[in-house]
Amino acid sequence: MNFLTPLAAWFAATIPVVVLFYLLKRRRVVLKVPSTVLWQKYLAETQASAPFQKLRKNWLLFLQILLLALAVFGLTRPFFAGQQTPSSLRVLILDASASMQSSDVAPSRFEAARSEALRWVDGLKPGQSMVVLQAGPRTEVRQSATSDRQALRRALQAAAVTDGPARAGEALKMAESLIRDVSDAEIHLFSDGAISGLETFENHNLPLVFHRVGERLNNVAITSLDVRTNPENPNQRAVFASVANLTAAPVATTVELGFAGDTLDVRPVTIPAGETESLVFLVSQQADGEFTVRHTTADDLSVDNQSSVMSLLPRPVKVLLVSRGNRFLEKAIRSVGAVDLSTVGEAPLDTAAWDVVVLDDVAPTVWPRGNVLAVRVAEPDWFEATGAVRAPPVVDWKSTHPLLRFVNLDNVQVAEASGVKTPRWGTVLVESPQTPLVVAGEVGRQRVVWIGFDLLASNWPLRVSFPMFVANAIEWLNPATTSAERRNVRAGEPIRLDVPEGTTAVDVRPPGEGWRSIPVNQGSTELVFGGTDRQGSYGVRWGTNETAVVVRALDVQESNSTPRKEIQMGRYGGTVATTMRSANLEIWRWFAGVALAVLLFEWWFYHRRTA
Amino acid sequence: MSESLLSAKLLRQLDQLELRAGRRSKSSGRGERRSKARGHSVEFADHRSYVAGDDVRRLDWNLYGRLDRLFIKLYEEERELPVQIFLDASESMTFGTPTKFDFARRLAAAVGYVALCGFDRVTVRLFPELNPGSAGERGENAGGVLGEAAYRSALRGVQGKKLATGFIQNLGRVRAGGVGDFNESLRLCALQTRQAGLAIVFSDLLDPKGYAAGLDALLARGFHVHVVQVMAREELEPVSFGDLRLVDSETGGEQEVTFGRFRVKAYRQVVENYTQKLREFCRARGIGFFRVTSDTMLESVLLKDLRECALLA
Repeated sequence: MNFLTPLAAWFAATIPVVVLFYLLKRRRVVLKVPSTVLWQKYLAETQASAPFQKLRKNWLLFLQILLLALAVFGLTRPFFAGQQTPSSLRVLILDASASMQSSDVAPSRFEAARSEALRWVDGLKPGQSMVVLQAGPRTEVRQSATSDRQALRRALQAAAVTDGPARAGEALKMAESLIRDVSDAEIHLFSDGAISGLETFENHNLPLVFHRVGERLNNVAITSLDVRTNPENPNQRAVFASVANLTAAPVATTVELGFAGDTLDVRPVTIPAGETESLVFLVSQQADGEFTVRHTTADDLSVDNQSSVMSLLPRPVKVLLVSRGNRFLEKAIRSVGAVDLSTVGEAPLDTAAWDVVVLDDVAPTVWPRGNVLAVRVAEPDWFEATGAVRAPPVVDWKSTHPLLRFVNLDNVQVAEASGVKTPRWGTVLVESPQTPLVVAGEVGRQRVVWIGFDLLASNWPLRVSFPMFVANAIEWLNPATTSAERRNVRAGEPIRLDVPEGTTAVDVRPPGEGWRSIPVNQGSTELVFGGTDRQGSYGVRWGTNETAVVVRALDVQESNSTPRKEIQMGRYGGTVATTMRSANLEIWRWFAGVALAVLLFEWWFYHRRTA
Repeated sequence: MSESLLSAKLLRQLDQLELRAGRRSKSSGRGERRSKARGHSVEFADHRSYVAGDDVRRLDWNLYGRLDRLFIKLYEEERELPVQIFLDASESMTFGTPTKFDFARRLAAAVGYVALCGFDRVTVRLFPELNPGSAGERGENAGGVLGEAAYRSALRGVQGKKLATGFIQNLGRVRAGGVGDFNESLRLCALQTRQAGLAIVFSDLLDPKGYAAGLDALLARGFHVHVVQVMAREELEPVSFGDLRLVDSETGGEQEVTFGRFRVKAYRQVVENYTQKLREFCRARGIGFFRVTSDTMLESVLLKDLRECALLA
């Protein structure tokens, strides 16, 4: 059993008052009379001598019937369908995610949500205020708390839908902090319910009203797109694409692959309802550029009908192996393919010419600034050493990490390892009970893979997993990989690009707009540009260099934009917001109050009669 | 005190009245009431045959002339009418404005005066009997009790208009108080009375044990009974409301009542029912009944109401 208003238990404090009434002695006036004979007859006649009597007009009876009727009526819990009592502060959260572009409600869900929000603004009464938040990939405060309707209207009009996901948890947390000190505040979420980030948001009695927009789901979406080197033919590129049919019927569509404006391939596909079709296009690529995949089916949500991916041509990775002689490691590196390997006994002072430096138990005089695979050596401030560990058993490894893809470390034995504490900058990939054995991470902007034991004092080089790990490591450490990743960002996430030292400003051209100059922080060699709300190709240029970054809207949750009746919150699902636009105004409290008043009146009336 | 009980004007008016006896007197004392006995009044009653030894002065010579037979003329004997006035002097009679007892004894004085004027023998019996203990409790001296006893005994067997003044004075001196048992008192009085006659009961008839046994005892003794119920105005229409603890003035019994103005009507109905039952009881037994409240004008009761109910004529 639960209580809606446990605080009402305080009304139990009225029970002693009733007891007090009964403790009060009725003060009777002593009156000497000639004889009580007549009074006894009077009492005998007025008391019930028969089980029934003729119903007489008695105001007490009417009062008691009224009291009972009120109590019964109150117990039926009557309510009016209406809006809740106007709260002094409302936080309007407008979902500006990609799914709100769906046109199942004309002109779009976003516009429908905006008009409903505007209606709430129009209903603003004096003394009430509103806050407008836009929940896209980032939560933006469009208007802080104000009673000015014009300002609120302007803020809502200025809100624009994005191609990114809605981080609703972030928006709700912000709204929660805004209403923290206001007891009768409300949060109104105007959304289709296709939102993310609520898994970790526990609803602690948040006064949330969910205004649902959207009616149906009719969407065919490109849900993933990736470009790799064709494993069977290194001269070819393989474009992987997934097309999901999120409608209730099979869809026959055509998927087109384009590169730099040219159509390379067209494929008809038929996708059953609710299924996802994976396609692989094998094409040759001559220059860095953008692959675009689109399907031709008209649906309600057009933003996910096409997607692009920036593909950079693979270049041989330059690797410097600094080793006193480790044929296993050398052969493993050479087997990676597309590797330009140089082997030296001592590290040169300047290693800027190499993409990856492998330090095999040789401490360099000057630590390289590039990415490093270090075996048993480490820059002094990387680790806090705890001493050597003898024969550490391998107990666990992080198989989900890209470095350990297809790597199985069963039967790997190590004679001795350097004992260190897990650093903050890194992730432990392989661990023993006493110490981490392999750590990977980024120190500053330098990627580091650290192996804490002598490879030749272990049997790992003899295992199949070793060359695979080295291949994964070289790919992960290859700056081109990082660069390619940085050329493809999700809508709403910032574009981060390395720029030469001394660059003060970078020009960025969002799709369909002109060049904009973005300042680079002094002393920084990285451009950070956050205005990636729309998908497409963002031009970036500094000096004479010009490149492009592809912003992609790929998000299964946004594509699967079924209007949801309930928003699941938290891990346990116990806190569910409702679609109630209006609350049932229960009025039983009023009836209970009136019944109480009638009771008191009856008490007074009875005593007045007998007084 | 006589002045306070009955005014001279009222006495003059009462001179015009006489008590109506319901039946012929059975008294043995000579008086002015017709009786079944044959005697020496001037009222002819009957003839009977002469027998040796009869007074020859009563021979009807005219009849002898016509019939040639000797007859003796018989005349009615006029006897006195014993009037017994039963006056309730219990504590309950001390209520009302004026008190019920006061009003009742003025009525009794008036009726007694009328009877004395009619040469009837009047006895006023106050009940309950005087209780020296209760008098002592009230802080009165023994002389007061003795005086009260003397006044009460002086009210017994009064006859003749000459004694009327003393009779009224004595009646004005008696006091009410004590716990009365209506039935027992009337029963004892009936037993003590030598000759039955007219019995007039002045009481509120609010005894917890009822009134039937006492009145029946009087009837059984051969009295012609009249009952005058004297009530106080507040008994008919109470003026005290709220949560009351009523204390019976005689028994001391308590009764808790919650009473309000809205219930006055119901109470009045109860009183009416009580009186109606009493009236029916009396009618069934040939008892004259009359109810009066203590605040009524005495003259109107005597000259109008009691004449209407055939006590006075």
